Amino acid sequence: MSFARALVVAGPSARLAAGRVALPRSLALAYRWHSTAPRHQQHDPLVGNKPRDYLDPPVPPKSPSGLKTAAFTAADEPGKDYDPYKDGPSAIDKAVHLFFFTEIIRGMWLVLEQFFRPPYTIMYPFEKGPLSPRFRGEHALRRYPSGEERCIACKLCEAICPAQAITIESEARLDGSRRTTRYDIDMTKCIYCGFCQEACPVDAIVETQNQEFSTETREELLYNKEKLLANGDRAEAEIAANLHADHVYR
Amino acid sequence: MLGLWSTGSRLPALASARLANRVSRVSQVRALASVSNASEPGVADPSAYCRDYVRTRDYESYLIGSFYPREYQSAFYALRAFYVELASVQDTVSNAMIGKMRMQFWRDAIKNIADGRPPQHPIALALHDASRRANLPAYHLRRIIDARDAELHTPAHLTMESLRAHAESTTSTFLYLLLSLLNLSSDSVSSHAASHLGVAQCIHVLLRALPYHASKGNMVIPAELTARHGVRQEDVFRKGGNADGISDAVFEFATVANDNLLTAREMFKQAGNGGGKVPRRAMPVFLYGLPTRDYLGRLESVDFDAFHPSLQLRDWKLPWKIWRGYYKGDF
Repeated sequence: MSFARALVVAGPSARLAAGRVALPRSLALAYRWHSTAPRHQQHDPLVGNKPRDYLDPPVPPKSPSGLKTAAFTAADEPGKDYDPYKDGPSAIDKAVHLFFFTEIIRGMWLVLEQFFRPPYTIMYPFEKGPLSPRFRGEHALRRYPSGEERCIACKLCEAICPAQAITIESEARLDGSRRTTRYDIDMTKCIYCGFCQEACPVDAIVETQNQEFSTETREELLYNKEKLLANGDRAEAEIAANLHADHVYR
Repeated sequence: MLGLWSTGSRLPALASARLANRVSRVSQVRALASVSNASEPGVADPSAYCRDYVRTRDYESYLIGSFYPREYQSAFYALRAFYVELASVQDTVSNAMIGKMRMQFWRDAIKNIADGRPPQHPIALALHDASRRANLPAYHLRRIIDARDAELHTPAHLTMESLRAHAESTTSTFLYLLLSLLNLSSDSVSSHAASHLGVAQCIHVLLRALPYHASKGNMVIPAELTARHGVRQEDVFRKGGNADGISDAVFEFATVANDNLLTAREMFKQAGNGGGKVPRRAMPVFLYGLPTRDYLGRLESVDFDAFHPSLQLRDWKLPWKIWRGYYKGDF
């Protein structure tokens, strides 16, 4: 808050001060901005700008009044009550000017650096940005390398799905194994939370990295088993690479 | 390579190290290339699926598996795949509810395997096959599931005692299963030694995974030990091995593992039959002591800095150590 107040105070007066600077004084002003010497050395009111007359004795020290012996403060000392910023820009004004100027230089340097760097933009449909191996996109049903479906119709994905987007019907085959006869995902309901993939004990349902499956009609987004298995066949190598793990951690 | 051989007997140490490195890398590449050999893994060939699963997820067990009698190898890989599957559930689920659902699936699967109706899951089919070959008590399998289920809610341990109980019902129970696979469950010396070896192995796996768990914001060293050495958990998550007192806590944790490993070895020495060696029939089970001893040795050589990058690498001498340990009858 105190910094803000200082800026508010300094802001307009800085502009005024810049306007007030007269041409012949500009050199002296520049010297005063960059000099680190104490101000009262250059502008001693007791000496003035004229050459010092060494024959005259300096101003005699004030003799203390009878009441105030040994009770001097800094203000009682001659020359210390002088305000060096009396007829020029204040210290805050000068700081604002200096830092503004370096800010501009730094900003322009940044622009210059970026000018020589390759662009960050990519030609999207032709170039694709990187995707995490855990990216959750379009769904797919996987098969074993032998071609057998992985899904065993345990319905855990249907149970966990928070959007109730999955519908499964199953029946037992002649060899006694249970398989799905219907596996539908309503992609318009799906919220891509990935719970189905996590719940699946056989890694059958997975979310692939494909994010570009927009359609022209709503019906095309109601995926059935054939569509999901076709997705899985297309992306199997990619899915297997993403699922790869090397260590037991527990 | 040719220039390397031409130096003959004056093979410099650096070059030989580089050669060894290249040989190990070539063998890794070869292992990767043989992902799908013979028949295709899946429900049609569950044992191939399990072997493949263990090879990618738990390479040490894959090495150990080849020392089992041929008729028990597929059963070993089935049990290990089951163990690995359960252990990795909590790393793949985002909340405990989903994990509990998967545990329930496995509970049902164990029940259905006992009834002879396994679900069409390759690991369940392989377990069914294994349970017909050998007497695998279902309560051991259920105990592992229950322990993993409980771990979903309480991933961190407060006391060493609770961690020991957890190790007893996961890694040690797995070793009991292996003993009963080899018809050795009535051997009290082996069972007792397996109990201690399981604790050592559990601590070994947790310590090896300490950087992984720290990156997830989990502390695997019991709070009792970290508090004793003034370790702040947040420091460990942020600074890793540079956190204050972490190497002291790791040292004390690793000492517990080492004590258990030594106790397990002493038991065979004191039993006295067979010259203090582990009986040849039980040896495949106790080969699990060799990766643990190897890891603890490497941990000691980097001054108990569990975050040292060299500990994350697979030790290329491990196959040789396991092979020698099997024939020496020691672990």
